[in-house]
Amino acid sequence: MNGAQLRALLMLRWQLTRNQWRRGGEINAVITLIFYVAALGLAAVGGVAGVVLGFLVFAKMSPEANMAVWDVLVLTFLLAWAMGVLAELQRSELLDVSRLLHLPVSLRDVFLLNYLASHLSLSLALLLPLMLGLTVGLACGRGPAMGLLAPLVLGFFFMITAWTYCLRGWLAALMVNKRRRRTIIVGIMIVFMLLAQLPNLLMNLRLGRMANHPPANAAEIQAWITRRAEEQRQTLVAFDWVNRCLPLLWLPLGAKTLAEGRPWPALLGACGMIVLGAWGLARAYRGTLRFYQGGETQRPVAAPVAAPTPASKVDSGNTILVEWRLPAIPEEAAATALASFRSMSRAPEVKMALTTTVIMLMAVGSSMFLVRRAPGLRPDGGMSTVMQSLLPGGVVAMTFFGLAQLAFNYFGFDRNGFRAIVLLPAPRRYILLGKNLALLPVALAVFAVYLGLATALAGLGVSAVLTACLDFAAALLAMSVIGNFASILAPYRIAAGSLKPTKMKGLTMLLILASQLFFPLALLPVFVPAGLGILCDEMGWLPGTVVMPVCGVLLVGVSALFYGYTLEPLGRLLQCREQKILQTVTQEVE
Amino acid sequence: MLAVETNGLTRCFGAVRAVDGLDLRVEAGMFYGFLGPNGAGKSTTIKMLTGLLAPTRGSMRILDTDLSVPDAAREVKRRVGVVPEDLALFDNLTAREYLTFIGRMYLLPAATVRDRCQELLAMMELDREAKKITLEYSHGMKKKLALAAALLPNPDLLFLDEPFEGVDAVASRMLRDTLRQFVHRGTTVFLTSHVLEIVEKLCTDVGIIAQGKLVLQESMAEIGRTGTLEERFLAAVGNGQAEAQRLSWLEE
Repeated sequence: MNGAQLRALLMLRWQLTRNQWRRGGEINAVITLIFYVAALGLAAVGGVAGVVLGFLVFAKMSPEANMAVWDVLVLTFLLAWAMGVLAELQRSELLDVSRLLHLPVSLRDVFLLNYLASHLSLSLALLLPLMLGLTVGLACGRGPAMGLLAPLVLGFFFMITAWTYCLRGWLAALMVNKRRRRTIIVGIMIVFMLLAQLPNLLMNLRLGRMANHPPANAAEIQAWITRRAEEQRQTLVAFDWVNRCLPLLWLPLGAKTLAEGRPWPALLGACGMIVLGAWGLARAYRGTLRFYQGGETQRPVAAPVAAPTPASKVDSGNTILVEWRLPAIPEEAAATALASFRSMSRAPEVKMALTTTVIMLMAVGSSMFLVRRAPGLRPDGGMSTVMQSLLPGGVVAMTFFGLAQLAFNYFGFDRNGFRAIVLLPAPRRYILLGKNLALLPVALAVFAVYLGLATALAGLGVSAVLTACLDFAAALLAMSVIGNFASILAPYRIAAGSLKPTKMKGLTMLLILASQLFFPLALLPVFVPAGLGILCDEMGWLPGTVVMPVCGVLLVGVSALFYGYTLEPLGRLLQCREQKILQTVTQEVE
Repeated sequence: MLAVETNGLTRCFGAVRAVDGLDLRVEAGMFYGFLGPNGAGKSTTIKMLTGLLAPTRGSMRILDTDLSVPDAAREVKRRVGVVPEDLALFDNLTAREYLTFIGRMYLLPAATVRDRCQELLAMMELDREAKKITLEYSHGMKKKLALAAALLPNPDLLFLDEPFEGVDAVASRMLRDTLRQFVHRGTTVFLTSHVLEIVEKLCTDVGIIAQGKLVLQESMAEIGRTGTLEERFLAAVGNGQAEAQRLSWLEE
């Protein structure tokens, strides 16, 4: 690629970005600009802070403590980097290679250009200056030998970015099959969430085990202290071994050996990471060639010997889900509910949202129930009456926190399907009713899991379970009203197969932020039955176990009235705004 | 009765007038071909007539219903089938699920929905891939499914934006015959296409739009008396430009 071609490609990228900003509106452009300036400012501050901390604080610390500091930095970067990769699972390149293949441009040069551009990420922009600053600070405070950390840092970033690029290319090749792509996205999401929460779960289990067998006398306390000291020593040894075995942690290991005055392990580590990075980049390049030019290194495929299987034909005898009748529900609402539910049950973005909810529950639930000394629990490990009364509301709130993204943007997941809705003759209130009903089985399933766990672990009584069910019904109705309103006023397109909104306008971003911020307030009423139950119990007016379900019934009644009264006006609002919503949810961004 | 009537219909995108004071008259039962060069305003007109896009000004009536009255505009959709430019499919539904959904939304009896789905899927040859969701369809398959959905409610008026684009020859032939049958029993078909031969074979009447303005509206019989549709089209949209703009390096 010569200079003129490079300039043309960079100009193309700039024009695409500029047009994106122009389409997004002025507010959006200003917000993006503020974001970039803030990131640059933070990077500069991070670099300076690294120098100061390295010189004044970390230079005086032990080699082991130095390794721990670098471990924290490396893990922080890896977590932030992985989140970035997750958000852009599909290969997102500076320049779409497939659109340049017919031009007289070298694929290798475009590949390198794209690889270099993949470094433009917030996590890298913040942590690279910090780490380099820290290196400078340590070199000044501890001696110039610590300067050898610089090639380690650069080698680490080279290795990570090269293998990430390779992984993205591999995923892009796998995702050519659209159905497989959806499975991969959900699978990766689940693995990432589990990995991210694993330390939390393990820690909770450990704390739970410790708290379940507290030492009773002085001798037991002494034995416990000795055991803990031994455990800590073993942990440090294991920690050191993990750093030696994992190339990702060779940087902290190098920091430790340099602090001990041994430069060779650090130099070998730097060389090792550079070699690994080069290997990753070479694999990424071969993958790119294979992906765009097809089959260069593909294994030969054996000719099929069996007769082709007949294509699956429509079996009109079986009743499909979309054909079901729903009692007492208008035909249009039932059809919308069933089609939307069917669509949701196949959408990877919905599965990702639900998976996130369930894994968060595992983390929060384990914190609540495995650590038996949590506030509100009695010394014997049982749960206080107040906590038992509040738990139904908590279960309902947890259920709906996880569903907010789905419920506040009903039409953003439809994308081109929303055009069909606009073309339909159905009254718009039935469309809203159908969308709300479509969420019911999903919400009910999440709620059932939460309630089952709460009942099993906290021993909820019949009254609490009944109250939780009533609270759930009331919250569903209330959230449907808020969700309908938000979906009509601030819709945004969700890219297929991700939870990532497509380029939003500034006002929409603010509305979404406001709705997410104030959503907990809308869920406060679900705690009213519990509050009244506790009050009546404390004052000795009536038993709380009776008051709570009765209040729950009243709450459902009020919510149902509220829902019923708002459905028609919100339907009219949808009719008025459907063309604007259509424009938003069908607009793709290059 | 007029199936489609517009008066001064205008749509602006910023400073650009995509449709500029369009006055259309399409009688019920016509097979109407709406032609024009790229960017002339054909799809924008269909989007406005079907409620996908709001006009900047002007009035529209379809099947004797004023579209400025929201409830009436929604109610008349019961009698209209549409294949829009960018299609209107749900990514995660199969063809049968999508057609069933559409049929139910038009309040057709369950048995009718089931029978028509089966016939349409067979006709469009979509019944062989029952388990495929529309996300996995090719462009041609998506187009066929959108056509099936438009025909399903047996509408009185059909708006078809480039219905033959991306559809294979067999399906295209079948579709042409089906549309003729629809017109024969009184349905009005309002169709846009770039393929003049198809319009010439199918349509009874033609309207040509250029730069947002209606420049010609005649019956095919009248056009046939004075020449071919291609000649009239080129004359209406400015054949002179095409002849004048030659590539300089080919002249050397």
